[in-house]
Amino acid sequence: MSFLLQTALLARRRLLETLRQPIWVFMGISVPLLYLALFAPLLPHLAGGPGLPRGGVLDVFVPGILALMAGGAGMGAGWIAIGELDSGVIERLRVTPASRLALVLGTVIRDVIVFAVPAAVVLVVAIPFGFHAHWAGLGVLIVLLALLTAACSASSAALGITLQQIGSLAAVVTGLQLPLTLLAGVLLPLSLGPGWLQGLGHANPMYYAVEAARQLAAGTLASATVALGFAVSGASALLAVAWATRCYRRAME
Amino acid sequence: MTALRKTFRTRRGEVEALCGVDLSVAAGQIYGFLGPNGAGKTTTLRILSTLLAADSGTAFVAGVDVRRDPAEVRRRIGYVGQRGGADIEATGRENLVLQGRLYGMGRVETERRADELIELLDLRPFSQRIVRTYSGGQRRRLEVGLGIMHRPEVLFLDEPTLGLDPQNRANLWDQLRGLRDLGTSILLTTHYLDEADQLSDRLAIIDHGRVVAEGTPKELKQRHPAGVTITPRRGTADPAALARELESDPLVGEIRMEGDAVRLEVGDATTGLASIFDRLRRRGIEVQGVSLREPSLDDVFLHETGRSLRDAGDPARREAAA
Repeated sequence: MSFLLQTALLARRRLLETLRQPIWVFMGISVPLLYLALFAPLLPHLAGGPGLPRGGVLDVFVPGILALMAGGAGMGAGWIAIGELDSGVIERLRVTPASRLALVLGTVIRDVIVFAVPAAVVLVVAIPFGFHAHWAGLGVLIVLLALLTAACSASSAALGITLQQIGSLAAVVTGLQLPLTLLAGVLLPLSLGPGWLQGLGHANPMYYAVEAARQLAAGTLASATVALGFAVSGASALLAVAWATRCYRRAME
Repeated sequence: MTALRKTFRTRRGEVEALCGVDLSVAAGQIYGFLGPNGAGKTTTLRILSTLLAADSGTAFVAGVDVRRDPAEVRRRIGYVGQRGGADIEATGRENLVLQGRLYGMGRVETERRADELIELLDLRPFSQRIVRTYSGGQRRRLEVGLGIMHRPEVLFLDEPTLGLDPQNRANLWDQLRGLRDLGTSILLTTHYLDEADQLSDRLAIIDHGRVVAEGTPKELKQRHPAGVTITPRRGTADPAALARELESDPLVGEIRMEGDAVRLEVGDATTGLASIFDRLRRRGIEVQGVSLREPSLDDVFLHETGRSLRDAGDPARREAAA
């Protein structure tokens, strides 16, 4: 009980923080909209090719964009963690009886909300551009990608606390972000690529989430791909949260 | 039972931050850890407040074993680190309320306590402002408030007045004395001599991970001689004669000639001076001028470690402690 209360209090604190800096909310939503407005118009010319059904390119592209948003929403956690190491906030919280898991989840929950709300907006905006919405599938898709956000958020926080330097964190996160994104087939499905590329993709947890997301967006709920997506994303989130909790427990020793 | 006892030894990394610190601190007082940067003060405080595990040794805070039951220790202590730790994107009041709730206080009680602290620490004019806009002194007061929100038995403060201007320091001292008078035991680290001297009821001088002296500031200083400079009146005696006269006095330590004056070390200046003057008067030596320099904690530090506190501080240790 007190654990749930602590988590709720800490998540609320984070959300207040976000709402006080609306610029980030604005940025979070404008980037995917820019993809829709400036990148999506290129796609119809590719329609009918492998992996891109005629008349349904957005159905392939939008889930990818959502996955990009899911990852992006969690990336900031490490920067916040370093800031809070420097200002002593983490140290102060560690001396309170607050659960270390609650400290991690407070940020994770905020990041999930910061992903989910703009994601819903993007879905609605995509419809007039020709996106076919299967609402049940999209509901499950948001849940799936929320797990991805959680995994990114907790990993980023753990990396931040471990590295303790903004510069090193930036190098590691940007260094990982691009290959992870490309090897997930976010912008174009990996099935367009050669075998070695698809092989590399299979080593990327994000790939399974994106594959599952495409099926869910198409309205397929019960499939092995979806189940695998959930299994991989869920396991990643669990591992990352456990890692971050461990880091909070030992921060600054 | 609120008496504090601790005994521990630790060895951390390649640098021995603490090499066997044994101390017991009674409840209800302000206890200071004085020492140069990197002496092991912060490490000690962090072990006592469950942030760091000692490699060996045991520590009890408010009767609870820090290693065995850190969760219970956390409930009983407040901690204000060097970096403070207020949430700068929230208001002062939000900070206090969240802190209270995390300690398991009820909503109503938390609100009441927050108002109480806002009065006690003079936070009223800015308690609804975002902390980022606070001055150093305002922020430090709020951070002390965070440390005592849940009415801890023991409050740990790591360099509480670092970076504060003299007026804010004096205010904070008054507030800390007020807290002690309300029954909170306070343990603080400082590298300021005057802070250790004027604020602490007792103190331990720490250097290179060891306690080199312990006692009330008065006791510590009394163990060390005062410096007395006496200028004899011309015609009654010259400085050399005066020095000869006092050489055999058991109260007088080292004697040094300084121009037409003599500088003496006097073990206990309060009683010693009177007897020295008596002796000189009996010999017909008149005194033209006297100046007295009471021993300071820096003299104590110098005596115990062979270095002045102002020059001490070891960069390698400082980094290891950070």
